[in-house]
Amino acid sequence: MAIDAENQQVTPEYIEGAEGFRSEEMVLNMGPQHPSTHGVLRLVLTLDGETVVHCTPVIGYLHRGIEKILENRPYMGGIRYMDNADYLSPMLNETAYAGAVEQLMGLEPPRRAQYIRLMTNEMQRIASHMVAIGTYLLDLGAMTPVLYCFRDREGIMDLFEALGGSRFNVNYLRVGGVLHDFPKGWLSRLEQWCNTFDDSLKELENLVAGNEIFEARTQGVGYIDPQQAVAYGLTGPNLRGSGVSFDLRVDRPYMAYREVAVNPAVRQEGDAFARFRCRLDECYESLRLIRVAMDQLPGGPISTRTPIALRPPRGETYFAVESSKGEQGIYLISDGSEYPYRAKIRGPSFVNLQILPELLRGHKMGDVVAILGSIDLVLGEVDR
Amino acid sequence: MDITPRSSQLGPSSARTPLAFQPDHVAELTRALHGVEGLVGHPVLMGGGGVGIEVERARLVQISRALRDDLGFEMLTSVSGVDMRDHLEVVYHLRSLSRNWLLQMKVALEPGNPQVDSLVGVWLSANWLERETYDLFGSIFVGHPDLRRILLDDEFEGYPLLKSFHQTPMTVHDRATTQVAPEEALSGEAQRGVERVVSKRLGQGTMERLHPGTPTFGDAHYPDQPGVPESEGVD
Repeated sequence: MAIDAENQQVTPEYIEGAEGFRSEEMVLNMGPQHPSTHGVLRLVLTLDGETVVHCTPVIGYLHRGIEKILENRPYMGGIRYMDNADYLSPMLNETAYAGAVEQLMGLEPPRRAQYIRLMTNEMQRIASHMVAIGTYLLDLGAMTPVLYCFRDREGIMDLFEALGGSRFNVNYLRVGGVLHDFPKGWLSRLEQWCNTFDDSLKELENLVAGNEIFEARTQGVGYIDPQQAVAYGLTGPNLRGSGVSFDLRVDRPYMAYREVAVNPAVRQEGDAFARFRCRLDECYESLRLIRVAMDQLPGGPISTRTPIALRPPRGETYFAVESSKGEQGIYLISDGSEYPYRAKIRGPSFVNLQILPELLRGHKMGDVVAILGSIDLVLGEVDR
Repeated sequence: MDITPRSSQLGPSSARTPLAFQPDHVAELTRALHGVEGLVGHPVLMGGGGVGIEVERARLVQISRALRDDLGFEMLTSVSGVDMRDHLEVVYHLRSLSRNWLLQMKVALEPGNPQVDSLVGVWLSANWLERETYDLFGSIFVGHPDLRRILLDDEFEGYPLLKSFHQTPMTVHDRATTQVAPEEALSGEAQRGVERVVSKRLGQGTMERLHPGTPTFGDAHYPDQPGVPESEGVD
């Protein structure tokens, strides 16, 4: 059997000595309820024996119409719905939405609020990467790391609960600042957690790095070359894993990132292992950033005085932050009323997923999970 | 102790100074855009260091190619539809990674004829982004290889992000309904494939959209609602 990559068709070939027997492709449904799809993603795989000939992702099972909901909520009320877009990194989504409204209004949050946002953003990035790393290793058959990862993530969840009252959908940011200042003793708890996490991150790395089985399953698998990555619009660790150093925190610094330097993790290999390694390195960098922000944390107010019913001036703006998955952008149009005229969420996972059929073609069935997990999707944000 | 700034106790951070975004980038981009033909009006400055242009619909692909090849906009970041009530607009956000430029390109669609050329031939990422815009706004991308609904069900009617799209009441196809009113089940009406409106009246007089599987305890139907088959024997 030969695979005609251009037409995505399989040309059947007759096996010598077995006249009349013809190998045929098989269609296999993976998902929407499959543990390794991390949500409700359905992949329709066309297989030739063990080889993937073609893959069609079917999405939309989690579509809630968040963009329509945002058009019917006041600007402040929309922040809460942004939590649900990428439910593994709500803080980063909130930063994108609050930042877009602030940019529209020409508002600059106080420095302390910017530093608080930076700290919570980096904590959220670690939490999101812990899920990505843990479940990826779980998909590849390693049971222990996911327990380590979720244990460390639990510390962040507890800190968020103390901060915003909720572990997951924090609803902590406000347009012009944050909801309230740190409770008493919160910073020392964060410092404690940082020290613990420092050790456990090294522990996690020792557990994974140099593991022959893991390297064999991920190195050289799912290669994305830099031109392809850019053409498909990949961002985040998927792009940086291919050697393209593009990080909005560095290239378009926003808020406190203008004062705190970030060293983005870049890997040249472009395979699944490189993307995984980028996420692990980003955890170290995020931990460093949290400590820098704690050291430089300025005093002063945590929020500007903004009315509850915000009426940004007429106009449009595009604001993007570097989320844990890539560029989380908000395109916002205001018609001068209390409600956004249009709020478009540019989600990184949606754009990153598009390359999957290209990556899977020609790989073995067993590599499907290894490649899918390396892209790090959140279906809540793919479907919105 | 927590509230006090700690920056006074410590020296400046040892990390390198950040690579700040330069306003020169915007001036450079504006200068470079002077060479592009087919723009409607002049480039405008957007918040956050971006530049916005509006282009002629007929020359969209040509301009896009020029932007990609001559100005180095390698990445199509997002495609958004906008319902301007009398016509649709499609807004593209482009990035040049090498020159750190952000460009917003807007094209207005003809009223009553929402067609625009597809940009899949220029940027690969346009494929799903345009499908999403078609799905939610109904704008047709001519030349798109696979223009199908992507987020919504294939049999969904209407384009939900249009301003004319009403959210309530929701029309539920029988296929998607798990609940059948008892009187309908008895009379065999549920098998006829009629469309039903499942809604529930709340205390404050608002209508809440219900998931078709939500139990309504016999209050699912009100005779005054359009589309609800009147059945006998219901109070």
